[in-house]
Amino acid sequence: MTTVDTSVAPAVTVIASPVRRRRRTGPAGWLFVAGYTVLLVAFGIFPTVYAFYLALTNDRGQFTGLNQFVKVAQDYRFLPAFLNIALYLVMWLVALVVLTVAVAVVLRGRIRPGLSAIFRFLYYVPGALAGVASVLVWLFMLDPGVSPASGLLHALGFDSFAAVLAPGDLPVIFVLIAFWTGAGGWMVVMYGALNNIPDEVLEAARMDGAGPWRTAWNIQIPMIRKWIAYMTILAFAAGTQLFVEPQLLQTASLGRVSPTWSPNQLAYVYAFQKGDFNGAAAISVFLLALGLICAGVLVSRSDLFTVDDEA
Amino acid sequence: MLSRLKRPHESASLVIVVLLLALAVFFVVPVLWLVLAPTKTAGELIHDGPLSFGSLANIGTAWQHLIAFQDGVLLVWLRNSAIYSALTLVLTLLVSVPAGYALALMNFRGRKTLLAVTLVVMIMPSATLVLPVFLELNQFGLIGTIWSVVLPMAFYPFGVYLVYIYFATSLPREIIEAARIDGCSQLQVFTRIALPLAKPVAGLVAFFSFVGNWNNFFLPYLVLPNSDQFPLQVGLNQLLSSTPAFNPVAGGGLNITSPELALAVIIAILPVLVLFVFSQRTLVSGMLAGSTKG
Amino acid sequence: MSPRSMKSGARRRLTIAALSVTAVMLSACATAEQSTAPGGGGSPAAFEPAPQQDGSQITVWTDSTRLKSVQAYQAAHPEAKLNVVTYDGSADGSTYLQTKVQLFDRTGNGWPDVVFASTTDVTWASQPANPQAKAFAAPFDAGLVPQATLDGFAKGSLDPCKFNGHTYCLRNDIAQVVLWYNKKLMDEFGYQVPETWEQYEALGEKVAKEHPGYLIGSVGDTNSHESYFWSSQCPALSLVDARTLKSDLSDKNCTRMATLLDKLIAAKSLTTQGFFSQSFAKDNASKVLMANGPSWYGKYLFDGAFKVPAGQMAATGPLKWDGESTVATGNVGGGVWMVSSHTANLKTATDLVTWLTTSNENQAGAPTYPAYSAAAKAWLANPENKQYFATDVSDVLTKAADAVWTGWSNTRFSDATAWSNVVLPALTAGRTLTETLPQWQTAIIDEAKTVGYTIAGK
Repeated sequence: MTTVDTSVAPAVTVIASPVRRRRRTGPAGWLFVAGYTVLLVAFGIFPTVYAFYLALTNDRGQFTGLNQFVKVAQDYRFLPAFLNIALYLVMWLVALVVLTVAVAVVLRGRIRPGLSAIFRFLYYVPGALAGVASVLVWLFMLDPGVSPASGLLHALGFDSFAAVLAPGDLPVIFVLIAFWTGAGGWMVVMYGALNNIPDEVLEAARMDGAGPWRTAWNIQIPMIRKWIAYMTILAFAAGTQLFVEPQLLQTASLGRVSPTWSPNQLAYVYAFQKGDFNGAAAISVFLLALGLICAGVLVSRSDLFTVDDEA
Repeated sequence: MLSRLKRPHESASLVIVVLLLALAVFFVVPVLWLVLAPTKTAGELIHDGPLSFGSLANIGTAWQHLIAFQDGVLLVWLRNSAIYSALTLVLTLLVSVPAGYALALMNFRGRKTLLAVTLVVMIMPSATLVLPVFLELNQFGLIGTIWSVVLPMAFYPFGVYLVYIYFATSLPREIIEAARIDGCSQLQVFTRIALPLAKPVAGLVAFFSFVGNWNNFFLPYLVLPNSDQFPLQVGLNQLLSSTPAFNPVAGGGLNITSPELALAVIIAILPVLVLFVFSQRTLVSGMLAGSTKG
Repeated sequence: MSPRSMKSGARRRLTIAALSVTAVMLSACATAEQSTAPGGGGSPAAFEPAPQQDGSQITVWTDSTRLKSVQAYQAAHPEAKLNVVTYDGSADGSTYLQTKVQLFDRTGNGWPDVVFASTTDVTWASQPANPQAKAFAAPFDAGLVPQATLDGFAKGSLDPCKFNGHTYCLRNDIAQVVLWYNKKLMDEFGYQVPETWEQYEALGEKVAKEHPGYLIGSVGDTNSHESYFWSSQCPALSLVDARTLKSDLSDKNCTRMATLLDKLIAAKSLTTQGFFSQSFAKDNASKVLMANGPSWYGKYLFDGAFKVPAGQMAATGPLKWDGESTVATGNVGGGVWMVSSHTANLKTATDLVTWLTTSNENQAGAPTYPAYSAAAKAWLANPENKQYFATDVSDVLTKAADAVWTGWSNTRFSDATAWSNVVLPALTAGRTLTETLPQWQTAIIDEAKTVGYTIAGK
């Protein structure tokens, strides 16, 4: 879940001035990046290559072609797990993008700065409860027996914790948890990004007779497009890795939630229950491909990362 | 409240404020509930109002129950979390500040490749690599040692990228050129000029790295099999599954119930919460620092 | 970097290359199957203990219910060095122990020396996980405990521990199913205690009319199917041989129970909320008139969780079906203790497990019914147990212990998983058991296949 936690910062990455031509400084540079390169190879590049190697072989080291992929794709738990995560991702990303941007626009333009700061702070604080803590808190929030929202839960027809955990509700529950911990930080970032739009630009729009909503839609939102794309990529990458949330919910619900609800859980079961690391790697490669393809599309659509020198 | 609004469209503004308040309730009430939970007994949690205050004495009782769990293993978990996170943090800073600096301001063969790979790895779902990392660590006999969590977590491409952006946008090349002409070695330029300037970005990297490490679950869950090596996050999972708070069948006979669990959660998040509360302003200004120059 | 900048010629060449790679990958490749089916290894080599170190510390993994017993051993044997860890005890189909042992097998150290586990765990613990590994559980018959001790366990209670002629676990308790009832309430209401399922059903409908709100059982727990469907001799999980499983939920022994339960659920005298669910004890504990369930309901559920005062609960049964002469009943859990084959202190580990399972000192006061016959007698004779129940439950429990139906097999996967994540949510959503049976069967069969069973036709 590291990606969720890092979520608050990345806006910077998008904007960087073109770097000037430079003189070669020779091997000294290698010394500076040596430590990082070792870690990058050990925990970034090698595991990726190794995952592919594992997914293409069996436990005797024989080349299996795509057979591992076919094998895991035929597992009866494969499709439900990927459907679960897809449903979750769609709801989570839509909720995140729409609400974060909307709230940021409102906080920036329609509310006094002092009040806006208070709201931002309140939204942002649950970010400290990422991971296990957030799930534990929400276990209580969703139990009509103790929840401060028990009235609401009863009104929605949920009379027991078990009723809340109906299989169809799970993606919504995970979206709630993710939104609660993650969205506040992003609202702060989006607000900051909007703040950087020069006042003259907004003033000009107002002079042209654009109301606040038109300004937001036609000027502000297009200008923070890269931040939105960046947020989407990180939230997507984090979302595909869902593990702690369903795992804890499975424990707390005494098995009512499937132990292989998300693909990552299925990979875990393959690796540590069946001892089949090759099958597990095949599932990981599926996830990796999914993440990279979607990131690739977003990156190319939004001109994100066109930071470096080639200009 | 209305008087504080900026614009005169009062009805629209009222709706907005109501919606913002509703959102605030959504974000804040669970936190409030959590903070109040340990002041009540398990029974009071069910019967009393959800946001009522019990008594301070109950916190003490809950604390004693928690400490009694497996001879105070909670404190061991807390210590583990602190050690893992701090060690990782130091390593991350040692590695990523020079790397980001070199990527931004030095020119060497492979620089662009390194940068491109960093970008790709940064947006890869890292948990999918945990299984191969597990096998790799196992090859080197590191599973179950402190290094099995610290080393993989110290790899933090996002941190390198932040430092890179910072130096690329805020340290004029001319200063470096001048220093070089004055006879400074590469190392001297870095330690005397770049490092002092790197404080804000180092703080930013430190914050994200620490929060990420502290909350990491999947990696330590896999690579640390023994309960007395767990960091707090993995410990919380064990607390949940082996106590009656949510598992009456497995946990009958232990007095770890809802208030104790809530207290454990509070203890687990306290360091990060403190960091969050005190660093919002710095963070925002830090993370947007680059943009004004863009 | 951007795909848009790629020249169309280069793109075509790339496509061709990609296609040819795919073609190669699809042809002539090795199988993706594991070299050994999980848990299906051949007969294990003779047991070779790890190098022993007398008096070394042993790590004990226990569930929190058994924690007190381990602590009592420590108090009575101060010289033994124990490191006690609480875990979920493999309850409710948890695979925590299995995944951790797999991990230790990979790393080659770290195994707990003694574990409390479920009978499902013995199915994998008795086999090496891969050709290089050693089976996790040490066979007790290889000189660890005298044969006389093994013979002292109740008939059939060690069956789930036996593989390839060796005994890999000592059974802690048996969980034979009987009909528990609140005698005080039954007398108050003027009801006859049912002896057959038909009477049970009739009484359930009567209770619903005359005393709405009172309950004659629950099907909402992770183990309720064992109380009801196992007792009904439903062939949900029957091993034909070690590798072949038969599951037929359309059998009349299954449908008759489903029909009966559906009627009572509709009448609301049987709840789909679990006895062990979060809020049951606080809302409904005093409304439980009867409960068909394991022997440990007596002390553990009614005394411990529901706090029913002494002198009220009694037991009868097991219930029969009209026209059937054989008495059969179910079994709900019944934990086991295993010693690791990797332990460096077999002496202390074995002594601890023997003490936990067979000593009257521990077992007479246990919350569950001991599997060791002599200890079971002591348990029944224990005044504390006697005084709690309204009638003498000895005969009922003894009779039920011998009547556990053997057609419900101990498989390599937990029967709780399919029940709790397929059937229970369906019941919560208001669907009937009868219409959920086919789904339940599919879930069982799917799960059986993934652990390597062949499915037998009808």
